[in-house]
Amino acid sequence: MKIASKIILSHVLSFIIIFMIGAFALESLNPMIAKLRFIEIADDLNIVFLEMRLSEKNYFLYKDENALSEISAKIKNTRDVIDSYSDSIIKVVGEGNFNTLEAYLDDYAKVVNSLNASHVRDKVSETRLRNAGKRLKDFSDEMTRLERHNINAIIFKSHNALFYSFFAILALVFVIGQRVSVNIVRPIKNIEEMANSISAGNFKRKKTALPKDEIGSVIRAINHMSEEISNRQEQIIQSKKLASMGILIAGVAHEINNPLNNISMIAETYEDMYEKLSPEQRMEFMGKVESETVRIKGIVKNLLDFAKPKEPERISADINEVVNKTLKLVQNMLNVSDIEVGLNLAEELPLVYVDVPQIQQVFVNLITNAIQAMPDGGKLNISTRLGKEPDTIETGFLDSGKGIPQEFLAHVFDPFFSTKEEGGMGLGLWVSYGIVKSQGGNILVESKVGTGTIFTVQLPVYKEKGEIE
Amino acid sequence: MSARIMIIDDEKIVGDMAKISLEDEGYAVETFLSAAPALERLKEEKFDVVVTDLKMKGIDGLEVLKVVKEQYPDTKVIMITAFANLDVAIEAIRGEVFDFFPKPIKIKEMKESIKRALEG
Repeated sequence: MKIASKIILSHVLSFIIIFMIGAFALESLNPMIAKLRFIEIADDLNIVFLEMRLSEKNYFLYKDENALSEISAKIKNTRDVIDSYSDSIIKVVGEGNFNTLEAYLDDYAKVVNSLNASHVRDKVSETRLRNAGKRLKDFSDEMTRLERHNINAIIFKSHNALFYSFFAILALVFVIGQRVSVNIVRPIKNIEEMANSISAGNFKRKKTALPKDEIGSVIRAINHMSEEISNRQEQIIQSKKLASMGILIAGVAHEINNPLNNISMIAETYEDMYEKLSPEQRMEFMGKVESETVRIKGIVKNLLDFAKPKEPERISADINEVVNKTLKLVQNMLNVSDIEVGLNLAEELPLVYVDVPQIQQVFVNLITNAIQAMPDGGKLNISTRLGKEPDTIETGFLDSGKGIPQEFLAHVFDPFFSTKEEGGMGLGLWVSYGIVKSQGGNILVESKVGTGTIFTVQLPVYKEKGEIE
Repeated sequence: MSARIMIIDDEKIVGDMAKISLEDEGYAVETFLSAAPALERLKEEKFDVVVTDLKMKGIDGLEVLKVVKEQYPDTKVIMITAFANLDVAIEAIRGEVFDFFPKPIKIKEMKESIKRALEG
């Protein structure tokens, strides 16, 4: 169900409950009003009945013959009242009781009239009169008592109903709140977690059943995006490798061009000046050609080592040798960028257990970053030492560049994170971090704005087969 | 008096080879491995042509060009570089170099260029 529908439904539900409570209150109020109205009438009648009994008393005690006429007039009066309110009375006491009341009244009228006509005071007639009057009064009293009792019952019932509906509304509000939390707030929280996990570089998504609402659409879109990024991640890493290869190759081309030019110039001079050169000079020329060839061979070997297939092949290696080999690769870049390199390599370090070309790539990345952090030149200190962690060797790259602000430090290893104003896809450190982690090492970063940055690469020490746990 | 040629390149062989051929042509040739001592030498003596490498540690070829153009306007500058990069060539030409040679250099071509520089 869509979230919009859920909200509408919960509103409709609240409305229905409130409407029902209102209707119920009104429903119990209506008979109460009718009964109150009846009691008013009944009270009036009771007074009249009481007066009739008083007249009776006058008739019996004081032999007042006029009393019968008074009773007769009151009976007629009462009849008029009962007839005019018959609807209200029937509604409250029912037709049976109403008929009984009328019958008793008729009977009473009949007794009074017959006495009034005969003027004979015999015992039988008097008893009939007394009984008819009493019966009428008792019946009326009983009706009134019953209806008062009913009103109390209704008031008590409505009080209870209102009391319970108060709790029903509370419960409903609680349930709706709960549903909103479960169906809306929690999924939004989940989306937030998903986004955080993606920005942390975790592109793999678990397939779960999606809700058929707006949240479902959002999750579907995020999953799609994440899948796309995941699909391209490999591609991006590959192109990053190619890009750093490109930079390297440009450097290497320059490196090779110099000895090549030297050989070419020696050859041309040798050819043109052959007659004028002494045999010693000719030998010297050929010696130079040979040493320039060795120079080219060294550069090519370095490049081949670097460009080897990337299946990690960990071997025991001397970290200082790795540093020196890497420096040869980037020497030209460093020269051109006016970077002075300070080396502080600890002697007699244990061997590290790494994939040398991959670690070289990491070092090239770190040195490239250092160069970019020092656009106007500067100093790069590279040091090796025993690590603080047991069985590790640390290699530090300290530049004298602009530094990285504290708030960015936690993100430097995130994919696509870059502080470089132009260029730089922000993948170099991410790729480096992945390589070092995959070989059981770690990269740490510390920085001070305006002073420089140090990247420390921790690599595991090589252990003989027997030593490996 | 023979023309004076200065060659600045951090590759020693470049200066050595150019010197042999150019001295054979009758020029007075001096070679330097970096720009700083070369600029010092320029203060002492006038050179007709300065052949300089573009990318060098410390003072680079473009700075040499700037100093020469400002202080020794009669001296011609020929630029050589290991980068066969068009952008650099355009920048160098804008700075009024007489000629521009990407490595590997043909000494014959360089000799001709120097000859033209001395005539022009």
